[in-house]
Amino acid sequence: MSVVTKAFLRYLRRRRSLSLLQLLGIACGVAAAVGMALSARASLASFETAVEFIGGRATHSLERPAGPLAETVLSRIIADPAVLAFSPVIDRRILLATGETVRLLGIDPLLDRAVRPQLAHPGTPAASPAPERFAFLLEENTVLVDEQLAAQSRLHSGGFLETSRGRMRIVGTFPNASGEPLILMDISHSQRLFELGGMIDRVDLIVDDEAGFLARWKSGFRIQSGQQRRATLRDMLGAFRLNLQALSLLALFVGVFLVYNTAMFTVVSRMKDAGILRSLGAGRREIVAAFLSEILLFGACGGILGGLAGFLLSRFLSGLVAGTISNLYFFLRPAALEWDWSVLLVSVGLGCGASILGGIFPLVELVRADPVQAIRGRTAVRGAHGRAARAALAGAGVLAVSAALFWLARIHVYFGFAGSFALLIGVSLTTGLALVFCHPPLKRLLAFLAGLPGKVAAGNIRRNLGRSAVAVAAFMVAISMSIGLSSMIGSFRQSLIWWMGTQLRADLFVGKVGGAEVPESFYREMQTIPGLAGFDRYRNVQALYRGTTITLCAVDAAVLQKFTNFGWLAGGNENWEPVKNGTVIVSESFSRRFRLRAGDTVTLDGVDGPATLTITAIYYDYTSEHGVVMMDRSTYLRVFNDRTITTLGVFIDPGNPQRQALLEEVSERAIRRGLPVFTRDQLRGDILAVFDSTFAVTRSMQVLSIVVAFFGIAGALMTLFIERQREFGIYRALGFSSRQVAAMTLLEGLGMGMVSFLMSIGVGTALAWVLIRVINLRSFNWTIFFHPAWEPYAVAFAIAVLASLGAAAYPIWKVYKTYPQMQIREE
Amino acid sequence: MPAKIHVQDLWKEYERTEQLDSAALRGVNLEIQGGEIIALYGQSGSGKTTLLNIIAGLDRPTRGRVSVDGKDLGSLGERGKTDLRRRRLGFVFQFFNLLPTLTAFENVYLSLELAGRSDREPAFAALASVGLRTKANRYPHELSGGEQQRVAIARAMVKEPAIILADEPTGNLDLRTGEQVLDLLTGRCREHGTTLLMATHSPLTCRVSDRILRMVDGIVVEEPATGEMPS
Repeated sequence: MSVVTKAFLRYLRRRRSLSLLQLLGIACGVAAAVGMALSARASLASFETAVEFIGGRATHSLERPAGPLAETVLSRIIADPAVLAFSPVIDRRILLATGETVRLLGIDPLLDRAVRPQLAHPGTPAASPAPERFAFLLEENTVLVDEQLAAQSRLHSGGFLETSRGRMRIVGTFPNASGEPLILMDISHSQRLFELGGMIDRVDLIVDDEAGFLARWKSGFRIQSGQQRRATLRDMLGAFRLNLQALSLLALFVGVFLVYNTAMFTVVSRMKDAGILRSLGAGRREIVAAFLSEILLFGACGGILGGLAGFLLSRFLSGLVAGTISNLYFFLRPAALEWDWSVLLVSVGLGCGASILGGIFPLVELVRADPVQAIRGRTAVRGAHGRAARAALAGAGVLAVSAALFWLARIHVYFGFAGSFALLIGVSLTTGLALVFCHPPLKRLLAFLAGLPGKVAAGNIRRNLGRSAVAVAAFMVAISMSIGLSSMIGSFRQSLIWWMGTQLRADLFVGKVGGAEVPESFYREMQTIPGLAGFDRYRNVQALYRGTTITLCAVDAAVLQKFTNFGWLAGGNENWEPVKNGTVIVSESFSRRFRLRAGDTVTLDGVDGPATLTITAIYYDYTSEHGVVMMDRSTYLRVFNDRTITTLGVFIDPGNPQRQALLEEVSERAIRRGLPVFTRDQLRGDILAVFDSTFAVTRSMQVLSIVVAFFGIAGALMTLFIERQREFGIYRALGFSSRQVAAMTLLEGLGMGMVSFLMSIGVGTALAWVLIRVINLRSFNWTIFFHPAWEPYAVAFAIAVLASLGAAAYPIWKVYKTYPQMQIREE
Repeated sequence: MPAKIHVQDLWKEYERTEQLDSAALRGVNLEIQGGEIIALYGQSGSGKTTLLNIIAGLDRPTRGRVSVDGKDLGSLGERGKTDLRRRRLGFVFQFFNLLPTLTAFENVYLSLELAGRSDREPAFAALASVGLRTKANRYPHELSGGEQQRVAIARAMVKEPAIILADEPTGNLDLRTGEQVLDLLTGRCREHGTTLLMATHSPLTCRVSDRILRMVDGIVVEEPATGEMPS
């Protein structure tokens, strides 16, 4: 290593505390990005494993566009020349006595062996000892339970499984690589269990002539290859993953500010050394190499640390991400991601990339420095005000670019994300000027708080703009994101509460979306109870429309017209009239995604081929970002011939004196049948709980960004402290006490925190608007109504104060430790 | 024999303001031969450091010609000037300007390394010649001011340059240490036939010089060699 490089690198040891802060800042930024990416990868990997495990060797699956299909179709399948093997399947969910909903696959063990040989494992029906095998085939309510579920619920072969549909005898266990809790049952038993006489949910197939097969089965069926199925499911996660990635980049973005700040300090503190080296004959190249080796060393070490931390973080985040995916899209249990050395490579790349990005401007400054000026010392402070003005001008330009990007967001949401980052960069560039403008009131405030040290502290913030502006920018970005995200989440929550108030108005809800279905016999039983005002036989099923998985909903339009008050984009409850006669209404997300308006038509694959339905109204909805097509149950039955009821909404007239008794009777009857029952408040509470858990990942990233920014403020204070040690000697000579110098450092932190907060009020509000009106609208195609709230600002204020005071703790400790020895000297 | 340093009608002007005429150098002419020891004597702000910086190729003149060790600085590019400083010029500063993160030995060896030499022995020998062999592994903050300046002299001398430029080499030292450092610096230069140009405002420095160039308001005037110290 050259002596020039050595001279630079030794500063790292000499200024350990600052080096540590910089290292931790980069590490946290990298950890956030890596943790998020890995958890997304873990989720996706386990999703692929699950799909592959359940799909087995099946090349295709055949099902009705919505609902089950008659098993008579099997005779046609047997006769089809392209079919090499097939397996009919009942694929349902069942509620365990423990409250957990698990997937139950009804299969024909003999036919299924060719499609899913992995299930013909020791312990599984095809490979079990004869008595168990026969019991599985011959006895009602006998099941095989996957090993993980068995271990978790302490179940064993010969034991019993209590479910909402009765007690089931366990005749064996089987290994399950899908991660999703699974129960196997003979198909004929499961048909009886779910009252599906003669019906099956789908047929899994091994097909060798795809084109011929598709041509023969194109009408009235939905046929998907394994690849299409995976792609369809993966597409469902598209917007979700994009938002997660943007969030993870945020922490790295704040980390870059931190690197810039410390790199700038590196430049300032090495400026004199660079001047000396130039006078001794060192070329620019040697100085650049020395500086680069320093920041790359930071990047690499921070990257390694961040990579390791990110890997650990991903274990925590994977649970959150999988929970969110399970809540919003489909069941997912993330498998623990195996350690991969490439994680370190990527992390080092991210760390070095952030370091170079953060260090590039300071490096240019170092290279362009006049050696004569450099030898004299702190050149960076000189001209800082001019630079602040120039930076603000550049910031205004970046803000203009940001506005243009927001306008372009109508083309793709990527422009919206780019615009958000541009907004943050643009405002960050104006922080120097903002500090200049804030100086007089800040000086008055800090002087009011602490007298002379306060005045000096305000002066120091302004005098060291190069340092303080970057720290304020980093902190402002983190706090603004906190305000923006919290305001967006708060507004979303309020919009959701409003939406629930418009749609979820039944007094009781029997059944659960994603859970066990409600038997039609239960509906008929309810009809016999006098005094109930109405029922909504709600059916929720996923279907393909133009290659996208959408939600089809069947409802009792007349009942909803009477009892609900949907949020319509145009018109009122008269919109139900045409629905009763066979038209459909669509959610706002559907309308925006497929650019369809009232009056347009939508063509869906029905049981008898394509059915074209007219859209007569659009309503606000937050249940599916991919879109909902809602129709009357009569229309649904005509098009799809599916009698399944997902949930049953029960309405009781508010003035009915028997109201409470009726509620209790319906609940009792539902519970007797093992069906889940929710009151309106319970259902709304559950939805809000899911909503809140959905944003757990966002909150984790928010916290990480604030931690990174905290290191930024701490680093800036440390930098100012180290830079001004000689000044501290002068203060000492003038008679300042340790306490006064400590107060000065504390107030510098507080002052920077205050300015960060003040700026973040405007920027955070703007970001909230961008997240609501641009990002969410473009990502999820739904409108969130902006509900201003004071809480995010109060939290941001508390964070600003606490973090800036916390960041000052170490410099203050250093003041108390070293102040008595400080001298007025150069070295 | 061509002059080691030749300066002709050298001007250096900074940005002009209405009140102030901001020329640091106003048509400086001088010629210094090989092995000469010259004191560039003048008050603070007279332009001494500016002249030294221009001769070292660290600063650019507004107009005029400078030739160092037979090379015209105007025609040398950045790389040429860097190469000149690496191999033919040594620098000694008022505030020593040792790199704080390098030991005394490393500060001296740095000069050798920049000159493209990897032999460590001359660095130890240079330290020994200034009486600091035993303190080779000390960092600058562990040395006294006089010791730091001796390390700086070792650093300047170790690559055996043709010219040493010293900017107030005793300006930050007490009288006695200053005298010792001055004796050491001039003694080593005479021993090696090195040209030494010292900017100073101390009459003491003039006493050990072969010639005194007085600098007043950016103009250099040759001081008659009377043997007396200038006033």
